[in-house]
Amino acid sequence: MRRSDLGEFEEVVLLAVAVLTPQAYSVVIAEELEQQTGKTITTGAVHAALQRLEQKGLVSSQMGDATAERGGRRKRIFTVTIAGSRVLREARDVRNNLWDRIAPHSLPNVNIA
Amino acid sequence: MSLNTPGPQPPRWLDRLITKYCPPHLLEEVLGDLHERYSMRVQRDGEPKARRQYSWEVLRYLRTVVFQRQPSPFTQPALTDMLRNNFKIARRSLYRNKTYSLINVTGLGLGLACAILIFAIVKHHLSFDTFHTKKDRIYRITTEFHQDGVTVEANVPQPMGKAFSNDYTFAEKVAMVFSDDETLVSIPSSEDNRRFEEHVAYAEGAFFDIMDFPLVEGSKDSLLAQPNTAIITQRVARKFFGEENPINQVVRVSNKWDYKVVGVLKDMPVNTDRTDEIYLSYRNLKDYSNWLAGDSWTGLAGGMNCFILLKPNITASDVDKVFPALSEKYYDERDAKMFQFKLQHLSDFHFNTEMGGYISKGNLWALALIGLFLIVTACVNFTNLATAQALKRSKEIGVRKVLGSQRSQVFWQFMTETITITAMALVTGYAIAQLAIPYVISLLKLPPGFDNILQDTELLIFLPVLLLVVTFFAGFYPALVLAGFQPVLALKGKLSQKHTGGFTMRRGLVVGQFAISQLLIIGTIVIASQMRYARQADMGFTKDAIVMFPVPERETAVINSLRNELSRIAGIEAVTFCSRAPASVNWASVSFGFDSRPEKETFDIVVKAADDQYVPTFNLQVIAGRNIDHSDTVRDFLINETAVTKLGLKTPDDALGKKIEIGLNNRKGIVVGVVKDFHNQSFHEAIEPLCIVSSNEWYSDFAVKLNAARLPSSIEAIGDLWKRTFPEQVYEYEFLDDQIGRFYEMDSMILRLIQVSAAIAIFICCLGLYGLVSFMAAQKTKEVGVRKVLGASAQSILWLFGREFTRLIIVAFMLAAPLAWWLMNNWLANFQYRIEIGTEIFATAIVTTFAVAMITVGYQTIKAALANPVDSLRNE
Repeated sequence: MRRSDLGEFEEVVLLAVAVLTPQAYSVVIAEELEQQTGKTITTGAVHAALQRLEQKGLVSSQMGDATAERGGRRKRIFTVTIAGSRVLREARDVRNNLWDRIAPHSLPNVNIA
Repeated sequence: MSLNTPGPQPPRWLDRLITKYCPPHLLEEVLGDLHERYSMRVQRDGEPKARRQYSWEVLRYLRTVVFQRQPSPFTQPALTDMLRNNFKIARRSLYRNKTYSLINVTGLGLGLACAILIFAIVKHHLSFDTFHTKKDRIYRITTEFHQDGVTVEANVPQPMGKAFSNDYTFAEKVAMVFSDDETLVSIPSSEDNRRFEEHVAYAEGAFFDIMDFPLVEGSKDSLLAQPNTAIITQRVARKFFGEENPINQVVRVSNKWDYKVVGVLKDMPVNTDRTDEIYLSYRNLKDYSNWLAGDSWTGLAGGMNCFILLKPNITASDVDKVFPALSEKYYDERDAKMFQFKLQHLSDFHFNTEMGGYISKGNLWALALIGLFLIVTACVNFTNLATAQALKRSKEIGVRKVLGSQRSQVFWQFMTETITITAMALVTGYAIAQLAIPYVISLLKLPPGFDNILQDTELLIFLPVLLLVVTFFAGFYPALVLAGFQPVLALKGKLSQKHTGGFTMRRGLVVGQFAISQLLIIGTIVIASQMRYARQADMGFTKDAIVMFPVPERETAVINSLRNELSRIAGIEAVTFCSRAPASVNWASVSFGFDSRPEKETFDIVVKAADDQYVPTFNLQVIAGRNIDHSDTVRDFLINETAVTKLGLKTPDDALGKKIEIGLNNRKGIVVGVVKDFHNQSFHEAIEPLCIVSSNEWYSDFAVKLNAARLPSSIEAIGDLWKRTFPEQVYEYEFLDDQIGRFYEMDSMILRLIQVSAAIAIFICCLGLYGLVSFMAAQKTKEVGVRKVLGASAQSILWLFGREFTRLIIVAFMLAAPLAWWLMNNWLANFQYRIEIGTEIFATAIVTTFAVAMITVGYQTIKAALANPVDSLRNE
């Protein structure tokens, strides 16, 4: 597996990091994704994804502030690295390319209310 | 980490769970995230739902850490790394404190060697006859003989086997076995008619269906059913016939009866009490003794056993219920009360000493207890020295703790040290045990196969268990003390004895050690004195320089010519033909009638058959009447004082001239004299009523009183004569002293055992003491220096050390003495004639311990007392 290979969930998490910067850490990312997808997203899953992303060099992290809700423990704040943003852009390009080449009416119509 | 977090908290146990499994460098953020999210959910969804979701989260998280654990940025020490480090430190510190390590390894090693040997011995005895596949159902019938008291015998009257199998259906198999004494067995086919003395048994073939003694040759069907057939073990076969095929060979028993070997048994295992190796057809018992093979229900012969294999659903109590009916059927009213029967289970054979068992379970457990004592002293030693050493290592512990060692880590470090020492000691102990095994075998008269016991699997399981147990008991306390040091105090050097568990703890341990040693010393002294008493006390007859020879043929002509020839040999002072010596295992104990009383007496009388020379040879004293006259058949009787008293006569003279009829072939005679009581058995037994009567047919030995100066030449001359007279027999003789010594075989075995244990216990104790006093001397160097400068004399310094140990020994003595007194009185209760436990025994014990302790502490103490105070005070 190439280092830059990006799983679907990882991609979403990476996007969420980009959205939530500069306050991106697992709890808020998980909350955000839960709102967006309507599914339950555990912190653990997000945490694991973030660790993988960091290993691949797509995000970097440093320890942030502690709060009372956290029992005085610090949080780890993530930001997207240059490599990360390149991967995101590449992924978007691939998708855009594909979207652009879809012939009109070849997708069944979905009624958006 | 208790922080004042607002609001409800998630379940604590889940946090603990995650703390345990989460890599430490991730813990902070992970737990923080979880808690933050929890409090969010509490506000949004309420507490119950938040808690539910929290558990879900934790479980999910655990899944990720277990399966996708990310490496820590730091090198992760494996479990073994720390362990390796611990062993490295252990090795270094042992190497640095060589004396200390040596003392510990030697002490523990000795203790463990004893434990290993004792384990092996105890196991050996517990394994007796446990290899039979049907062992749960194997019994033998035993006889309870109700007379004045109750005596139990493992023997039964001969017709029992047949009666029991005909009258009752309890048994699957019944086998009568008569085990004879050593008997002459010769090989007629060999060139020089080779002769051996072997134990033989007359057995019914069913015996081999009951017990598992497999045949290697011959068929199991109709085994020994034919008369004049025999089976022998492989060992005997090799001994008799060498490499030849033993089947169909002929062996001759007592020079009279030929038996054809029809089967060969696998060698008897070492752990069985069935030691006979030659089995003859039971149908030939009538050749051996018509009376024995007859239908007499009143005769009880030693060695006559009735083995039974019960049917599966029958219990022993079912069978015991019918025995009264059996007694009533075969005896008249009076005898039915006397002869009562009972089943004895196989597992009791070896341990019931009343019925010929080898060793009682009590003695076996006493042995185990001694082993435990030795281990305990060795452990105590270790604990003692380790705590004494603790101060020396306080700096090390201080530094370790400052650098972040936790209490448990320090604890395990010291446990590692302990286990290293214990392991070394175990190896030493095993080696010592291996070296000692030949001595133990001869000391305890164990079978030669016993030396394999150290390769036994159960022992190999026992060893690691021993290792862990000893490590735990020896190391636990010192490790706890060391691990509990306050780092600040330790580094400042402000720790004192108080912090190492104090002197009291160590004093207690030393007292325990001394108490055990003194207990063993007192035991040794008491047993040794009793043994000396038993061997040297006046038994009422002379036993020095008397040699016993067997008389295998009892024809009057043979005896008379032998008597004549013996009188010509120089150096012989007296000769008497008799059935055994004055003190011996009873040859015959029979019922008898006295005077004209209508009923037989209510007690049995011991019969000693002997000619008129018996009294002068053994220096017996006739206190009334006269000695018996020479006669080849029963005529005159002598009885002893006990018999007179038991007969209810006022003076010995009242017995003279009275008729007496003994239940041995119903012989009659007249009482012509009374002899002063002499011990007719060991000191274990009370003197019994007995009579002395002459009759050639009953003599089994002749006793010769020799001139001590010409002992060897006389014995040689008698030997030549004997071999000429009985060319067909195996020549042997025995000194009466030795024969009497054999009464106390078990006792002297116990004595040797306890002697060795006491010696080892004292040695271990001294090792510990030496270690302790050297340490104390080092600790008190300054104190001694100051005292000397202020004018203390060398004596007062000696007393400074001596006082301490004297006090400990006295306290230990006060614990040990009453216990020893109680235990040894119990042991002495086995003897009808015994010593009193006097104060001198206790005095000896305390003086011995004291002396040994003083010698041990002496060197170090004197060194400390004589040291120049300048040396100890110069450098501060």
